[in-house]
Amino acid sequence: MRFNLFNTTASRLSVGYTLLVTLAVGVTLGSAYVLTESLITDEVDLIIDTELRSLQEKYARSGVPGVTDEINLRIDSWGRIGAVYMLADANFERIAGNVTHWPFDGMPAERWPEFEIGTIEPGRRAVHSVRAAVRTLPGGDLLLVGTDISQGQRFAEKFRFATLWGIGLSTLAAALAGFWFSYKLARRVGEVTRTCQRIMAGESGRRLPVAGANDEFDALAVSVNRVLDRLEEQAGTLRATFDSAAHDLRAPLHRLRTRMDALLLRSPSLEPAVHESVESALREVDHLQRTLATLLQIALAESGAPLAAPAAVDVGELAAELVELFEPVAGAQGLALDCQHETAAIVQGNRQLLAQLLTNLIENGLKYVPSGGRIEVAVRRLADCVRLVVSDNGPGIAPEDRSRAGQPFVRVGSGAKSEGGGLGLTLVAAIARLHRGRLALESNEPGLRVVIDLPA
Amino acid sequence: MHVLLIEDDTEAARFLVKGLRESGYTVDHAADGRDGLFRASEGQFDLIVTDRMLPHLDGLAIIERLRGRNIGTPVLVLSALGGVDDRVRGLKAGGDDYLTKPFAFAELLARIEALLRRRTSTLQTTRLKVEDLEFDLLARRVTRGGREVELTARELKLLEFLMRRAGQVVTRTMLLEGVWDLHFDPQSNLIDVHISRLRQAIDRGTDHPLIHTVRGSGYVLRSDS
Repeated sequence: MRFNLFNTTASRLSVGYTLLVTLAVGVTLGSAYVLTESLITDEVDLIIDTELRSLQEKYARSGVPGVTDEINLRIDSWGRIGAVYMLADANFERIAGNVTHWPFDGMPAERWPEFEIGTIEPGRRAVHSVRAAVRTLPGGDLLLVGTDISQGQRFAEKFRFATLWGIGLSTLAAALAGFWFSYKLARRVGEVTRTCQRIMAGESGRRLPVAGANDEFDALAVSVNRVLDRLEEQAGTLRATFDSAAHDLRAPLHRLRTRMDALLLRSPSLEPAVHESVESALREVDHLQRTLATLLQIALAESGAPLAAPAAVDVGELAAELVELFEPVAGAQGLALDCQHETAAIVQGNRQLLAQLLTNLIENGLKYVPSGGRIEVAVRRLADCVRLVVSDNGPGIAPEDRSRAGQPFVRVGSGAKSEGGGLGLTLVAAIARLHRGRLALESNEPGLRVVIDLPA
Repeated sequence: MHVLLIEDDTEAARFLVKGLRESGYTVDHAADGRDGLFRASEGQFDLIVTDRMLPHLDGLAIIERLRGRNIGTPVLVLSALGGVDDRVRGLKAGGDDYLTKPFAFAELLARIEALLRRRTSTLQTTRLKVEDLEFDLLARRVTRGGREVELTARELKLLEFLMRRAGQVVTRTMLLEGVWDLHFDPQSNLIDVHISRLRQAIDRGTDHPLIHTVRGSGYVLRSDS
């Protein structure tokens, strides 16, 4: 299984994190922008208001001439930069001020109207934005006071520009950090996953890497490694117990066989009847030995110990080889035995055990299918497994017996042509389980159909 | 031929020593791993037969130490262990053949003979010849008395196995291992049927059959004279 960087918990988290950062930065910078802009406007408005009030007082004291003088004075000498004044009569005709004509269509409706003004400066014409306020004087004349706000607008524009870039860059930074974070995370999780897969595949000595960073991953790796150590230790104990059991059972059998062998070899002059019965006893010993080997194999497979050193096995090729091996024997019994297999039906497993599994299934067929019948072995590649099917048109197994058929020493049906150990299918089931496979006994209508799915 | 037997089971060892001596071998016996390794390192043996589980020093450890000292004497491992991977471990450690207990004495004899002969016949060859039976290994072509014999790929492999060991007894188990790479005993008389097919192809119509059955052991391919 390969990691898709965009389909991990980490990447989902980092996308959420990026969105959150964008939102937070957007709100912060946006409100700063709005606040600053209104602060600037408020200050402009306050200045305009103050000046209007002082000019209105001047008007009240000394009428139009007084205001005209005051305006001219402010324009010429000490007035503030960017100040705009105009005194007009009721018909909007200019009386005084630094604006050439009334900038609005009649009386502006807003409280703080804005307009543009062209200034006469050496070299170039510039257009300035002006924010203003208008008061009607008691004599019907109109007083306009304004302020050049283009500088403030430029400032606001720059602020807006900076705000947008700020949001964009923080989003980018958050996204990059998130990507890096999920990449790192996916890499470490990937390492753990790969190691686990290799351990599952039989490299039982392998352990999770500990980076030495003393972080939660290291803590996890250390704990998992401790569990793996314990499991390996248990498998070792199991193996040792198994080995000594095998040894204790085989050694006396071996002494027995050797003694009988020696008897036959050293006494060629034995009475024919004695010779015959020693030979027949030897056959029994061999039978006992085979049963013992099968039982040991089942015990080992069922012990939960992992498959030692699995390798790539082409099940199709193996099936073809075994069918070829058994074909003459089947032919001699009047049975048709054939094999259909797809190429490269490869599983990770033990060739000898899989061969034993196939052998037992074929021998089972040879034992139960009456002359004239047929046994078919088929190997197909499915999406995530290799399907092995051994089917025949013999007596089959009754549905109520099928679940018992994989148990030791259970012989089902009465169609047996020769005696058998009754361990064949048990070993098949054990080997299938050892390969993490699934075994199913079905009716072949008529006959037996054994389906084994081995994970590829 | 000088054989060293390392076996701690005294009763089994006594029979093996006796049997091997009767078959014409000079046999030394060591009853534990340490003694076995000492003798194997000092003496000039043509073959070592060692048990897998031994006191003091395990059979595989003996092989590893011998190989580490550049002693290449062929080693046949006897084992009472059960698993399929034990054999692989035994061969990986540097053993030349592996036999699971209990075994027939004839099986042991045939394997000892095969290991001893192997040392002298490792020459690269492209053509095998026994009497008037010829096997061109490059063209995968077999002729008997100049007449071509049609054989399947598996029959060719079987015949090659027999011809390379011409004059030696080859057991059914050796054939299953060497020709089919199967390391267990199927219950059926599989090998007999395949041999009889091969015999049909090779020996039919001649008065000099080359493939012979050895009672209680297996088969041998040799010119019968």
